[in-house]
Amino acid sequence: MSLYLLFKGLLSRKVVTILLLLQLAMTLALLLNSVLLAQQTHKQLNQPTGMDLDNIVLVQLKPTTASLRVYPALEELLNRQLNAVSALPDVVAAAYANQSALLQGGNNGNVYLDGEEGRTNQPSVPMYFVSKEFFRVLDSQVLQGELPQHSVSLDNPVRPDVVITQSLAKQLFADKSAIGQQLNRGRLAAVISDFYGQRSGDNVMYNSIQVAPPYGVDWGYSILLRVTPGRAGAVRQQLDQVLRQVEPNIEIFHIRTLAEQHQRLYRNEYGLAMLLTILSALMLLVTMVSSYSSTHFHALKRQQEIGIKRALGASKNSIFIELLSENWLCTLVGALFGVVLALLLNQALAQVISIPSLNGYLPVMTIMALLLCVTLATWYPAAIATRISPASATKAL
Amino acid sequence: MITLNNLSKIFRTELIETHALRDVNLQINEGEFAALTGPSGSGKSTLLNILGTLESFDGGDYLLDGQSVTGLSDAALSKLRNEKIGFIFQSFNLIKDFSIYDNIELPLRYRGLNADARKQRIEQALELVGLHARRDYLPGQLSGGQQQRVAIARAIAGQPRILLADEPTGNLDSLMARQVMELLEQINQQGCTILMVTHDPDQARRAGRNIQIIDGQLHDSTLYEPLAAHSA
Amino acid sequence: MEQFIYYLKVSLKGIKRAPLPYALTIFILSVGLGVFFANATFYYQLNSDPLPQKSDKLFFPMLNLVPYQCTTDCRTPRVLSYSNVQKLSQSGIPTQAAAMYSADGYLRINATQPPLPVSIRITQRDFFSLFDVPLLHGSVWPDNSARQEVILTKTSAENLFGRTDVVGEKLLLDDRHVTISAVLDSWQMLPRLYDANNHNHLSDADDIYLPLETGYDMNYLSNSQSSTFDDTDYRQLSTQGRTGALHQLQYWVQLDTAAQQQAYRQFMHNLVQDEKAAGRHPSEPNNQLIAMRDIVSYFGGESSDIKAFALVTLLFLLVCLFNASHLSLNRYLSNQYEFGLRRALGASRSQLQLQMLADVLLMALFTIGGALLTGYAGIKLMTELLPANRLFADWDLTLLIALLLLAVICSYLVTLYPSLRASFGTLNQQLKE
Repeated sequence: MSLYLLFKGLLSRKVVTILLLLQLAMTLALLLNSVLLAQQTHKQLNQPTGMDLDNIVLVQLKPTTASLRVYPALEELLNRQLNAVSALPDVVAAAYANQSALLQGGNNGNVYLDGEEGRTNQPSVPMYFVSKEFFRVLDSQVLQGELPQHSVSLDNPVRPDVVITQSLAKQLFADKSAIGQQLNRGRLAAVISDFYGQRSGDNVMYNSIQVAPPYGVDWGYSILLRVTPGRAGAVRQQLDQVLRQVEPNIEIFHIRTLAEQHQRLYRNEYGLAMLLTILSALMLLVTMVSSYSSTHFHALKRQQEIGIKRALGASKNSIFIELLSENWLCTLVGALFGVVLALLLNQALAQVISIPSLNGYLPVMTIMALLLCVTLATWYPAAIATRISPASATKAL
Repeated sequence: MITLNNLSKIFRTELIETHALRDVNLQINEGEFAALTGPSGSGKSTLLNILGTLESFDGGDYLLDGQSVTGLSDAALSKLRNEKIGFIFQSFNLIKDFSIYDNIELPLRYRGLNADARKQRIEQALELVGLHARRDYLPGQLSGGQQQRVAIARAIAGQPRILLADEPTGNLDSLMARQVMELLEQINQQGCTILMVTHDPDQARRAGRNIQIIDGQLHDSTLYEPLAAHSA
Repeated sequence: MEQFIYYLKVSLKGIKRAPLPYALTIFILSVGLGVFFANATFYYQLNSDPLPQKSDKLFFPMLNLVPYQCTTDCRTPRVLSYSNVQKLSQSGIPTQAAAMYSADGYLRINATQPPLPVSIRITQRDFFSLFDVPLLHGSVWPDNSARQEVILTKTSAENLFGRTDVVGEKLLLDDRHVTISAVLDSWQMLPRLYDANNHNHLSDADDIYLPLETGYDMNYLSNSQSSTFDDTDYRQLSTQGRTGALHQLQYWVQLDTAAQQQAYRQFMHNLVQDEKAAGRHPSEPNNQLIAMRDIVSYFGGESSDIKAFALVTLLFLLVCLFNASHLSLNRYLSNQYEFGLRRALGASRSQLQLQMLADVLLMALFTIGGALLTGYAGIKLMTELLPANRLFADWDLTLLIALLLLAVICSYLVTLYPSLRASFGTLNQQLKE
């Protein structure tokens, strides 16, 4: 069977073929972009955060009475709560913080070298006010200097020392030693390994930490716990009760592992990728329906032709292959248009959402997937068509 | 009833032109029963289609009941077909999932008759073809001869002036074929003009007039053999 | 009529003849329309105008009255400071004006009750008339001065007291005594355009309303955005917060006429010039007077995922349309002989078109049913996966009528070409076989 004859066969059914090609092209375009988006989300969810997400539990809470939100009652409450949760089995370390890591936005501000604001200013760097165990909870590596050992009030004439993450240190000081430098927030005491702070910042790994009780807790505060690996579930179950025993006048907004927090941070991307995946699946289904029906009707209409071919000695297999090849050819031609269409769609989507551009191997993969679906859908009607008896050739003549 | 003046029909493909009909002149009078014979590919079906206004022609003129069909709109042609022409096909062309009654009703629907008028005419037609008891059957439940009688009932229910039959007995055995022929003769005697394509010389002889078509040209031989002699 | 019922019967017979292709056609059309419609619901609701009669008369003035010299980012802050608002409200030009922000608090009737977490809108008197908020009981504060009075929504009144007529009752708001001065009727402004910063326009209305001055006195910080551009201590909101560069307020003015708008622009221009001359802000002037209609796009809060999805679902609908017409073409082609027969029996093209219309109607009917089901499922799925938009998932009459029309148009398109082809096809050929 020749390619020429196949093409000719397709061309003779102009409208049907054009409809099929258009639809194949659009399916491929959508499929490709969905896969791209899904890949991107997957990558985002798998980028390093610098933290052991599964074994850190986050409690977000707030006192419900105004008197508990002012010092010294607040500091006393924070310490009581820390003591209680630290005593829980499987809790390795516990700390409070004015905010958690892995947020969209939160408490942040400028960081710059004193006197060199114009040159060194980094905007929107998260500011953490924490208890000293915070670094143990995150399992931070101390890269330079020493961690502050005592909590110092932010209202102290000498402001509490500052700890910053490695990326921020690199940005501010390049390769020079940073320890002892005066930042606008205080003297730099240590540089620690990176962790994921706030997504809306210029660099998610920029963070500055001070060991100090928070200014206030109008937005609530976090208690972060490092637990024995695999015991997050068990610890989590007791937290609500333990914290309420310490102080009933609190509202607990949520208790999650940082892994869950991370997932929520990318929930929108996840949702969009998920929706596109579902849509792609629907499209494949629709394409399969169309391949199925087009082969089915086509074979029905050409019963006589198939009968003649059979009478002239075509085997069942060759009829079968012929019908499949027609669909393969159609799919391939449609896929070629589809790649062009996918590029256009990719550009259109890039106007409204962030989506990576197309690369080399992905189109090949999706075309293979499309071919597989088309083959599956064509199989049954093509198999039926081969059963047409050679005798039918003579019937209608 | 039917007048063709120098009618011609050409089929064109990219490479060749085929003259299916060449300067055909034909006059069929009211009440005639004419048989159209000729070898395969001679243009019989083309002529019948043109007479039935199913197909257009390229030259000449066609007057049906004194009226030229040239330049009529689709709606006017449809009306003409619906009111003046009845068709009978070799393969009956009944709609399989319509009852006998519904099949006969089809042309009357297109004429826009009200339900009572339709019913009356269908009853008459069923009476004539002797299938009144089977009115609610589906075509598949009837024999070939019965099906063709239904098709005849459908064709005459609209009380057409002319009946065009394309090998009406081609798919029937001889007994059934004779019944159908008798029915057609009966209809002819009631005043309906009939033009019938046939391969069967016997049937052609039974018709009042025999028109032969060879290579798109007519050879008219009118046999003045009275019908009564045959039926006797 | 009788004739049309006949046409419908014939259509049904045609469906029975080949139920699978027909079911597939309906399925594909329903899925395409349903998915498109689910997304269109969000798109339509998110872009709807909650105050069509005055959204072009309400403006948010923003200016660079800040104590810093901008270097790279010279956009005006998205929120204003207390002193900014004071200066902006001195013009007397707007018909009405209200500054606002929101905070979180706890509400209870007495100290023995468990506290009810509430979202507080801290604002001024004109808020309620600016946005046409309906009042059920009581009256709005007579002026903008501080008073220990709150206005409750109907729902929070019912939650606290089990009834709505609670004007004059006392409450504890974060352990401080307040009196209820009014109860609002059910009110939901969606999207909540008066607070479009940080995608807040997607949120529900707040639970209680507190006068702005009282909010500052009680040291409520904004739960959406508080930025300080100097050394203002944000624990000292009632003193430093009123004078320093602590920005957290949104300010809406109603400017009914073009002349008013022009006058207000001029006023803002003069104000900034005067302040600059007085050395109170070093940045270049960059005055903005954003109409409510444009506020979401100004803040870059348009739902890009819904937009991206709109494009994609439209493409999907097209694919489904192509596919369905392909199927329906096949269906008609296998019925072509019947068309020929009808033509031979004297049906005119217009009569066949009527038959087709019956086909379209039936198909539209089935498709609408299928599309509604798919659309409903799609909306459920989308609220599950993109919960930020959950408040925008409702169908209204306009949407339903649009779906109806769209389904009919799609059914028509799907049936149009095949039936034209069948009814205009040469008559003779199909009858011979």
